[in-house]
Amino acid sequence: MENRQQTASSRKDYWSVPPKEVYEDLKTSDRGLAEQEAKQRLNIYGYNELPTHAFSRLRILLRQFRNPLFFILLVSAIVAGFFEVRQSVAIIAMIALSVVLGYFNEYKAEKIIEDLRQTVSLKAVVIRDGKPSEIDSRLLIPGDLISVYVGDIVPSDMRIVESKDLEVNEAVLTGESFPVEKTSQVLQIQNPIPQQLTNYMFMATVVVHGTARGVVVATGRHTEFGSISRSLVRTRPQTEFQRGVRRYGNMLITLALALVVGIFVLNALLGHALIESLLFSLAVAVGLVPELMPAIVTISLSQAARNMAKKRVVVKRQVSIEDLGNMDILCTDKTGTLTSGKIALKDYWSLSDSPDQRILQYSLLCNSAVVGTDKITGNPMDVAIWEYAIQKGIQDGVRSHVVVDEIPFDYQRRMMSAVVRNGSESLLITKGAPESVLSRCQNIEMVEGNEPIEPVREKIDSKLASQSGAGYRTLAVAYRTVGSKSSYSIEDESNLRLLGFLTFTDPPKKDAREALDKLKELGVDVKILTGDNELVATKICEELGIPVYRVLRGSELTQMTSPEIRAAVEEATIFARITPEQKLDIIKALKTNKHVVGFMGDGVNDAPALFEADVGLSVDSAVDVSKDTADIVLLDKDLLVLANGIEEGRKVFGNVTKYILMGTSSNFGNMFSAAAASLYLPFLPMLPMQILFMNLLYDVSNMTLPTDNIDVEYTELPKRWDIDFVRKFTLFFGPFSSLYDFLTYGIMLFIFGASPALFHSGWFVESFWTEVLVIFVIRTRRVPFITSRPGKWLTVLTLSAVAFGTILPFTFLGNFLGFTPLPTEFWILLILMVATYLLLVDAGKVFFYKICKF
Amino acid sequence: MWWIVSISWSAVFLIVVSLYLYASRSKRLANGTRAGRVKLSDFLFVFVLAGLLALYIVSIDRSSSVIFASGNIVVEAILIVYTAKNWTRKS
Repeated sequence: MENRQQTASSRKDYWSVPPKEVYEDLKTSDRGLAEQEAKQRLNIYGYNELPTHAFSRLRILLRQFRNPLFFILLVSAIVAGFFEVRQSVAIIAMIALSVVLGYFNEYKAEKIIEDLRQTVSLKAVVIRDGKPSEIDSRLLIPGDLISVYVGDIVPSDMRIVESKDLEVNEAVLTGESFPVEKTSQVLQIQNPIPQQLTNYMFMATVVVHGTARGVVVATGRHTEFGSISRSLVRTRPQTEFQRGVRRYGNMLITLALALVVGIFVLNALLGHALIESLLFSLAVAVGLVPELMPAIVTISLSQAARNMAKKRVVVKRQVSIEDLGNMDILCTDKTGTLTSGKIALKDYWSLSDSPDQRILQYSLLCNSAVVGTDKITGNPMDVAIWEYAIQKGIQDGVRSHVVVDEIPFDYQRRMMSAVVRNGSESLLITKGAPESVLSRCQNIEMVEGNEPIEPVREKIDSKLASQSGAGYRTLAVAYRTVGSKSSYSIEDESNLRLLGFLTFTDPPKKDAREALDKLKELGVDVKILTGDNELVATKICEELGIPVYRVLRGSELTQMTSPEIRAAVEEATIFARITPEQKLDIIKALKTNKHVVGFMGDGVNDAPALFEADVGLSVDSAVDVSKDTADIVLLDKDLLVLANGIEEGRKVFGNVTKYILMGTSSNFGNMFSAAAASLYLPFLPMLPMQILFMNLLYDVSNMTLPTDNIDVEYTELPKRWDIDFVRKFTLFFGPFSSLYDFLTYGIMLFIFGASPALFHSGWFVESFWTEVLVIFVIRTRRVPFITSRPGKWLTVLTLSAVAFGTILPFTFLGNFLGFTPLPTEFWILLILMVATYLLLVDAGKVFFYKICKF
Repeated sequence: MWWIVSISWSAVFLIVVSLYLYASRSKRLANGTRAGRVKLSDFLFVFVLAGLLALYIVSIDRSSSVIFASGNIVVEAILIVYTAKNWTRKS
């Protein structure tokens, strides 16, 4: 045997050969492998486990440095260190703060997921040397013979060699809600997809009925499940937010470099001292760098993560919170996310207008479920009948009946029967697949009485076809009176009277509709990506009120070119019968179309899409690989928390955007006027140390920005990084600040006839006041800005910083920095000038926001 | 005269940027992107800038803090009326 495995569906076609040949090829037998041989094979094949995203503290730590701004900040810290060590220390402290906060939050989230994973350890019943024993499923190897029972999670890919009434739920792999019937029968098909392999069982699927024995044909990463996990071992694509930060970083680097070179060259050409010119140009560049950006982002994200944790949402990658807020399309799997992933009885019906409650009562009597005190187990449909009856409080109606005999379900008849006695009357009740039950019925019970079934058969078939088309599963219930005898057989299942039908569905989650409505309000479009068929998906959309504009099947997608897919993904609401790879293609196409895409799923077939999406969302009950891949895990299956999360994300994005707009407009204006003034003033407009100190004070005043209030209208629609908008904002609002700086130069020189020290002091105070106070105008789109209430701490800290900046020239520290007290008349003019400035910027907003939409 | 050039330059720059933004909006409108209707009165800050420019130049040229202060107060009154007229309606 080769020291190499392939996935089950692409390796030797074991599905097309009888079990005997499978044994021969895998050098095993119906007694299983010998223990010794198993040990040797384990050395060759390795453990039956999937490579999971290893929980590494170092990796979490390194992840915190993947930010271009860190590089800029580090350079700033080094440059600042030449003039002002305190500034350098402050920048390094801010880097450290954001790294530490980010690390601890992400560590906590990873730990929760890791702990969840470790609570699950799978066992498998393996036959070795002819004896069954229970072993850790990690020790399984190809050639092992294993048995599976109801409730088991299939531990590896296996070719079934024996089965009895076997049904497997493959939703985790295919997205199909209803169980699939499996047998050991040989299949004659070429290049099958996993759904077609009815004599295979796949790793991580669940046995919901019957038992089976099978030969392991693939383990670990070589299983179907593993092949999907393998596709995730690659570099994670950058999220929209990370791409935005990178673009912003690039813009700043370009701007800073241009200023440094420009100021230095011009000053040098004008004959200013070279070293002084260089230091001044570097200080101006440092003044432009938003040192607080990483700290603001991390503090905002940590706060949002904490708020979300209170609602039992684990944020594994904090950076994804912003993308959650900016998400404009949510692609979601159907089963287990929008639907409960569990079969439920929808209703019961007959051809009469009013359904007979006996349909339900009789199906409770003819039922294989085991009803315990706190749990009902057994066949999912029988369990669903009991749950429905208990919910409606009608289970007591069957207490007067005594079940005296049962004819169990089997796959040849596809039905079961029970003989019940109620007083002196004995009834044989049959429940099963409609076509099987109908073929044994002679009459149908109508309101008017019993009628022959043949005249209404067409009507019944048509109704059943429409139910099947809508994705429902149906069971028929029939009965007849029987005489009393000691035992009953399948021969008694004849000459039945049809009573009615039971319709089963995988119902939408209770809160799904409300959550989807909320998402719609928030401007998030929902698209359904499912392995299930289009009729089922359409029905769910109808029930959830999702308008369906177009349905695309996986087979149609395979025929399309990339541009066609890009156009189709915009129109379609439902993507049905699609493979995990196609889910990935859809996400990529939407991202190429400039959408911020979220994906929510819980199965292994969802993992690649979770990986590719800007925001991967999963649920607690999801398979490990999905939880590993997801950015955000909902511990409660409450979809409404998603809407809350989006609002949290938008708040974070809003506050980070405020900081960026402030930094790049007001800072830019100030630094630009400093640079311009250096060209014609006989002295530097501000000393490098003074520039850096102002920068430090400004940063301190912004520390509470993450706690600021956000206008309601800001969170109504998704936003996205738009560097063009930031650039326009800077170009427009920057000169306002420069204008007032130039004005201050004029006042200081020509009204006050200022010395260099007085000039520095006057400009420092004016520059600081305008730079800090303009946050109250820029933080909101509302005009006038006073209609938007700023956060308490932002107000307190900003006004405190202004007060400190005001008294600074009168203090010892001010004297140390080279400032001198300012005349009273200056303060009067300053107040008037700053008031005009703030009002002018507010008036500018009317024009700007009409022109530039964001 | 350098400070007159500087102040004028800032105001001229702002006006140029406004025109650029307006032109870029027309381009986006042609591409089907929605944007609000812009009226001449939305450009008020440009007219105020022009007025301020004259005021500041005159007051600094005459070294008169009184002209400077009174001019600012008049401009503030105009801007307060303007922002009140453009009061944002909450959505």
